[in-house]
Amino acid sequence: MGETEQVDTGLRAQLRAYVEEAFLYLHPDVELADGDRFLELGVIDSLGFVELVEEVQDRYGIAVEALEITEENFGSIDALVAYVERRRTS
Amino acid sequence: MRTLDEDLRRAAATAPDREAVVAGERRMTYAELDAAATRLAAHLHALGVTRGDRVALLLPNGAEAAVAIYGTLRAGAAFTPLNPTIKADKLAYVLRDCEAVALVCDEVLSPVAQEACEHAPGVRHRVAPEDLRPPGAGGGADALPHPPISVDLAAIVYTSGSTGRPKGVTLTHANMAFAADSIVEYLAMTADDRVLCVVPLSFDYGLYQLLMCVRVGATLVLERGFAFPGRVLELLEHERITGLPGVPTIFQLLTSAGGGLAARELPSLRFLTNTAAALEPGAIDALRTAFPGALLYSMYGLTECKRVSYLPPDRLDARPQSVGIPIPGTEAWIEDDAGRRLPPGDVGELLVRGAHVMQGYWNDPEATAARLRPGRWPWERVLATGDLFRADDEGYLYFVGRRDDIIKSRGEKVAPREVEAALHAAAGVRTAAVVGVPDALLGEAIVAYVVPDDGVTLQPAALRRHCAVHLEDYMVPARVELRGALPTTPNGKVDRLALTEEAVTSC
Repeated sequence: MGETEQVDTGLRAQLRAYVEEAFLYLHPDVELADGDRFLELGVIDSLGFVELVEEVQDRYGIAVEALEITEENFGSIDALVAYVERRRTS
Repeated sequence: MRTLDEDLRRAAATAPDREAVVAGERRMTYAELDAAATRLAAHLHALGVTRGDRVALLLPNGAEAAVAIYGTLRAGAAFTPLNPTIKADKLAYVLRDCEAVALVCDEVLSPVAQEACEHAPGVRHRVAPEDLRPPGAGGGADALPHPPISVDLAAIVYTSGSTGRPKGVTLTHANMAFAADSIVEYLAMTADDRVLCVVPLSFDYGLYQLLMCVRVGATLVLERGFAFPGRVLELLEHERITGLPGVPTIFQLLTSAGGGLAARELPSLRFLTNTAAALEPGAIDALRTAFPGALLYSMYGLTECKRVSYLPPDRLDARPQSVGIPIPGTEAWIEDDAGRRLPPGDVGELLVRGAHVMQGYWNDPEATAARLRPGRWPWERVLATGDLFRADDEGYLYFVGRRDDIIKSRGEKVAPREVEAALHAAAGVRTAAVVGVPDALLGEAIVAYVVPDDGVTLQPAALRRHCAVHLEDYMVPARVELRGALPTTPNGKVDRLALTEEAVTSC
């Protein structure tokens, strides 16, 4: 396993654990794959995304701009992993 | 007098190629919306749906929802719009209550629909989204039944009642067409408008965005809720949006999220509308800074008449806390308990008269009698809103408070008894009480106090999960607090005032 993949795995596990702890527990019937869209499955709503953005800002020290709060960046576990990696390395 | 469906026919005849609904990748012209509505109407007709039947709609915001509304109306039936996060128990209740014969639903929601329909045998037909697409060829308009007239039922819109059971507000074509016209008039809407709707079409605020756009032949850009401020800002710019309806929670999220707002120029944005709860002075300032070119309308209303009042934007500086004057073509005034009109400054119940006032609650003469009172003429009934107001010397209205214990959270009405009933049904709960506490973002936050059965240990997170499984999203308590007992009043009832005070101080 290359270094990037390991970083990715750790980050992915961390973000997944957070999403499960903060949101998924309210939806016991939902099985969430990493590519599944939070909004479409009803797992995270508008207020939930506020919490999610705050978590990303606090935990990874990223200053998230309003224009970046989109489905492409925050809409799924995959999207989150890609966004956080991109912003951490930039 | 016209029906709502005539608005669509006219828009399709006048500007067939103009965009009617934009939803995600889908761009639907008026000709396409008109053709799809005809197709659905013919389909419903073939299924045996007849004039006056009720068709329930369980759809997220999208082109399908617009087709479902107009297709149902074109079939001569009335529609019942339902929140897509509704759960099976309540859905079954509503389907039985309005005696729906058909349910139009999204695939994602079908397990909920399946379960609900097992308990609502009157629902004979399920219509899936594929029946809502524009036809490939052939219209089928000739097969349509006799069209409804303006006094026919157009919709039953359910709203939370303080009993904990939702009540069906019955509205005719005349009611809805009048309200849409009145709002179009004060917003000065034209066919050039492009409205971005992020509030659900199941909420009358969202529903009327569609009715008003179709009325004037404007374009409605539909989003499945407000989740991503970046997405909304992008749409405002790229879709050249002229009007953005919102509630305080939405506007606060939009103006408080990160930076970047000021960098955008939005020359098309002409107006913002706010309803459901008042904007704080700070929120008004933030909106004006973020959207300097847009007029801001503060409004007040209730599903029972759609809208009561609006504040002309040029009066906002002088009266930032007022919800304004009655909408065009209507009257509103304040009465004491004996039914006497009160002078400026005195607090009493707000009453409303006009062609927008509902026909009553479906199947509920008692609740209807409490809200609709004899009016100026033998045939007239006026609406007692149940809300306490005062007016100033020039007739501008100010909301003072509610008479019942309904909570307003995220712009939606929540009956504490409905949430309490869900909590009571959870294992290990002896009793529960639910109150609303002021919250900068939500308007009011729902706080639940729960007393466990003896010897039982309950987890607040598990109780919130239980609520999420049984209630619409906006009804789930923001906080659940466990207690050994609840405070009571001298006559033995749960002391809600004491709980509210406790909830406020413990924030």
